[in-house]
Amino acid sequence: MKPKTILLLVIFSVLIVPFSRILGADNEAKLDAVKTYLLGKANDLVDGSKVLTENADAYYELAKAANFDYAQLWKDKQDEVKAALEATKKQWIVISPFYEQMEGIVAGVPSLSHFDAIIDASPSGDEDPENAFDFTITLPSGDKLEKPGSLFNLLEATLWGTEPKYVSDAQVDVDGDGKIGFGDNLPDANVVKGAADALASYADDLLKAATDWEPNESDAFTALVVMVPTMSEYFGSWKTSRFVEGDAATGKNFSVISRLSDIKDILSSLQVIYDGVSPMIEAKSPEQRQQINQGLVDLKSFVEDIFKQEQDGKRFKPEEADIFGTEAQDRAQTITGQITQAAALLDITIQE
Amino acid sequence: MMNRTRWMICTVLACMLVFFALPVRAQNDTPQANAEQIRQQLFSAQSKLMLGDNAAAATALKSASSLYESSLKPIFTKSVPEVATSIDKGFKQANDALQAGDGLTLAIARGGIWTDFLNASSQLAVQAVKANDGKTAAQWLLLREFTASTKFSRPNSDATKAIQAFISGAGKAEDAVATIHNDLFDTYQAQLASSLANADDAQKNGFALRQAEEVGLAAGYFNILASTYAEQRSEAALKQTIQVFNALEKVVISGDKYGYQLNMTTVQTALKGFRAAPLSETDQARRAGQLIRFVDLVAIEYKRGVRDGVVIKDIEIQEATTFLEASTAAFNDISQTLEKQDAEKANRVGTLLAQMKTQIQTTADPNALQASVDGIQAILKDIVPEKWQQVASTSDMDVIVSVLDQIPVAVKSNQYDLAESARLEAYGLLELGMEQRLRGFAPDMAAQIEGLFWQGGTDASTNSTIPGLASQIAARASVAEIKSTIAILKTTFVQAQQIMDAGKSTPTIVISNSAIIVFREGLEAVLILASLLASLRTLEERQFRRPIIIGAVLAFVATGLTWWAANALLQTMLPLGERLEAIVSLIAIGVLLIITNWFFHKVYWTGWMAGFHSKKRNLVNGVAVITAGQMLGLIILGFTSIYREGFESVLFMQSLVLEAGLSIVLQGVALGLVGVAIVGVITFTLQRKLPYKKMLVVTGVMIGFVLLTMVGNTVHVMQVVGWMPITPIIGLNLPLWMGQWFGLFATWQGIGFQIASAVFVIGSYFWAEYMNKNRRESKVPAGKEQKDQQEQVVASSVESHA
Repeated sequence: MKPKTILLLVIFSVLIVPFSRILGADNEAKLDAVKTYLLGKANDLVDGSKVLTENADAYYELAKAANFDYAQLWKDKQDEVKAALEATKKQWIVISPFYEQMEGIVAGVPSLSHFDAIIDASPSGDEDPENAFDFTITLPSGDKLEKPGSLFNLLEATLWGTEPKYVSDAQVDVDGDGKIGFGDNLPDANVVKGAADALASYADDLLKAATDWEPNESDAFTALVVMVPTMSEYFGSWKTSRFVEGDAATGKNFSVISRLSDIKDILSSLQVIYDGVSPMIEAKSPEQRQQINQGLVDLKSFVEDIFKQEQDGKRFKPEEADIFGTEAQDRAQTITGQITQAAALLDITIQE
Repeated sequence: MMNRTRWMICTVLACMLVFFALPVRAQNDTPQANAEQIRQQLFSAQSKLMLGDNAAAATALKSASSLYESSLKPIFTKSVPEVATSIDKGFKQANDALQAGDGLTLAIARGGIWTDFLNASSQLAVQAVKANDGKTAAQWLLLREFTASTKFSRPNSDATKAIQAFISGAGKAEDAVATIHNDLFDTYQAQLASSLANADDAQKNGFALRQAEEVGLAAGYFNILASTYAEQRSEAALKQTIQVFNALEKVVISGDKYGYQLNMTTVQTALKGFRAAPLSETDQARRAGQLIRFVDLVAIEYKRGVRDGVVIKDIEIQEATTFLEASTAAFNDISQTLEKQDAEKANRVGTLLAQMKTQIQTTADPNALQASVDGIQAILKDIVPEKWQQVASTSDMDVIVSVLDQIPVAVKSNQYDLAESARLEAYGLLELGMEQRLRGFAPDMAAQIEGLFWQGGTDASTNSTIPGLASQIAARASVAEIKSTIAILKTTFVQAQQIMDAGKSTPTIVISNSAIIVFREGLEAVLILASLLASLRTLEERQFRRPIIIGAVLAFVATGLTWWAANALLQTMLPLGERLEAIVSLIAIGVLLIITNWFFHKVYWTGWMAGFHSKKRNLVNGVAVITAGQMLGLIILGFTSIYREGFESVLFMQSLVLEAGLSIVLQGVALGLVGVAIVGVITFTLQRKLPYKKMLVVTGVMIGFVLLTMVGNTVHVMQVVGWMPITPIIGLNLPLWMGQWFGLFATWQGIGFQIASAVFVIGSYFWAEYMNKNRRESKVPAGKEQKDQQEQVVASSVESHA
């Protein structure tokens, strides 16, 4: 190829890119990508929760064989019990982020949001009778747990023993570190299996609902407006968790995975939604699109930075956690405000 | 050659890349982007200092300062020099604080610098609009904050839309400026309240740094609103309030808790009643509704608290005073709009409100206060826009609950004034609607609700003390505490609503009542028809049966049409709500009274039947071949004999339709028709003698019970809609089921009218007996003949068709 030809091609190709942007050839929302992302994560959760039920079943069968005499169970089948419990706990740690990575969409879209309450967000009836989501799970024993709280929380509190009523009295060194510490207990096998089965069932239902969901601009904007300004809640639960309070923590949840990790994952899912609608905003106000985009990027990196410090061994004090939470909420509030402005300019309804 | 070409390629590529990157660079250089970068660097400086990394803190502060100097300062110095000076001071304060390792002062300085940015951007947006530069205004408007997005409210987009309208030429500059002011002032006032609340929370938790940060922000937000504050209050008041904010900052830095409480209280007092942005039309309509309701409540509460020129209940006077203050505040918020309607009348309202204050203070005659209230209401009727007046008339439970839900939202953002306003509004709605009725039907519950709204009370079930909302708001209680009281209040509302709804019968009752009515009326129709047909026994007479049957069928169709027409009429009148139920119930009671009266006088039954036979005899008159006239006459005979019963049933049934819905009533109708059909089949096919008279007596007594229930329920409905006074029977507590099944409620009016109805019906029976006795004594032959005739009629209806 002659140099002149190369030169012309380069000039043409370099010019065509900005001109295509200036002409605004791509101002449509790209919500299919949001649905594809959601279905990917929902499938991961379905597959992962099946494995969780297998692990929970193994522990349940051991307990059942011992007639639910946990002291005897530990005495007779220590290695099997350790293995089954470790596998169940590990699987919980694996699949919890699957949900967090789609929480921004599930919790924010009105037609899917009840799954968020059931799977991840609702307090239990004991903790908060007024706000607990009203659903019931049936345990293999036939007992029913009414308003049990979200299934991930129920499983965490049971497996790691932060809910005393779902663990046996037997204090045993499950993790084998030579001392009785956090998580060293034998959980009620009925609750473990019942909750794991329920989680698998609701994960299936969520996948079906997500498959049926026809994403639209209103859903996408609503999800952003509902979910972005929830930073203070997440930072609030981080502030009172073991990650900040240590052994003094009174909260039953968020003791295994840092809430900062959850926030990071939730923000990722919100970025996916925003990417879906940003071409529309670009068409109305490029500055606003850039501002919101930059705001979300900065917010996520802000959280990632704190999370990294925590992973590197930094233990934050409650006041420091409070300051960070306030800063995150301030940023989130500004981003939410800008999203509502964009929605108003595009005449898109934010649902109640 | 090759080198030259490469050089050309590189040059062109470099030019293109510069061209390509320009828009991105430009986007990053927006005022908002620079301000946000500075804000983040300032936060970084603060957090690094907090975590003990002073060097990193210094670097971040320097970075923030440099960026400000190079990007925003030149613009601010030129266009908003006062703000630029303030920012310079802020950076100096921050720098000094950092050098001294003083995190608290740095936090305050950071809040001041950021709010100065917001102040500058709002002024520059307005300046740009005035300079007819919408695009620059839009850019500055990106640098702003928003009210918190909650379940109940989203940030508004008025300013953004106004700028867009201005850019597109659809909006005027002055409108855009006004909208920007309103939107931003409203936002920053909410942020001011929120920061003060957060500062309090931080103080309670012992988070000094956060407390300092929030106080710095609060002072800055107030600074944005300062000019409006001075306009509304005075320059002196502004100066004084700024001094208090400065003092607040100092005590936060020094850690003086007592000084903090003192200055915070002074700040709250200084801000009480201040509203930076004028109200939207929706809010003005709401305030007008509050004014209309609250003024009435002043007189109601006052009347309860004063007798013979002496205060007998302090709490009622306190409530009257609270409502007067709220009325005055509501009037102040809309006075400018009302003055535009009629300045003289609007001023008169202000004068009358002041007069009411004096009347309460001097324990004036309640009638004099009522006269002032009446005077205000008469003026408001003239000058408050009609659309706003409609807002005042809604007072159902949902509205009360939705207003109550605004209280925790307001408290959460530290807007206790707003919370108190919502509390009074909810109480006003209750007081003018449900509470009056509840005082009659469940006085204990009315007292409990009253206590929960005001000073608190005791929970009878747990014997624990429950704080009242008024006390909680006055004591600036936490959201959780206030939510707890509201939750109890809502539960009590549900119980109260059950008592209100007790007059609404259960579906089972409505079905059985409908079935009784249809069976009763249908039975009469069947007997009349059987009697007429049975008396046409000979082969020649049988040809006359057909037109009578045709008439009966037509009557059935006509009854259906009547039902449809009555139902359609009711649908058009449905907006009358419970009042329509009261009207229709009254009509139905009238019909029932006539039925029972006639029944016991036997005039209805024997007279009606004898009349039909007489008509039939005239029509048939021994003629073997039927004429067209006779045909028509017999059709009319069949029609009128059945339609009368159908018409009565339809009329009565509409009341039940209103009460329980069409489908429920139709189930009862179907059940009644099945009963009628069974009797009809037995009568016409099996031709057996049935105890008609006994059946009529039994159903007649049942109708009597239906009548009593209906009278009780109708009185209840009339009391609910305010058409009848409520006088409770002290000491009589009737369970809910008695209200549902028998319409029994412990009010003198309800029980009284039920007794009166029973007396009427039973009296009617004895009166009939007395009349019959007299008739028998005075006209024995005639009486004997009549008796014979009655017996013949009943017997003839069951004779076989030979």
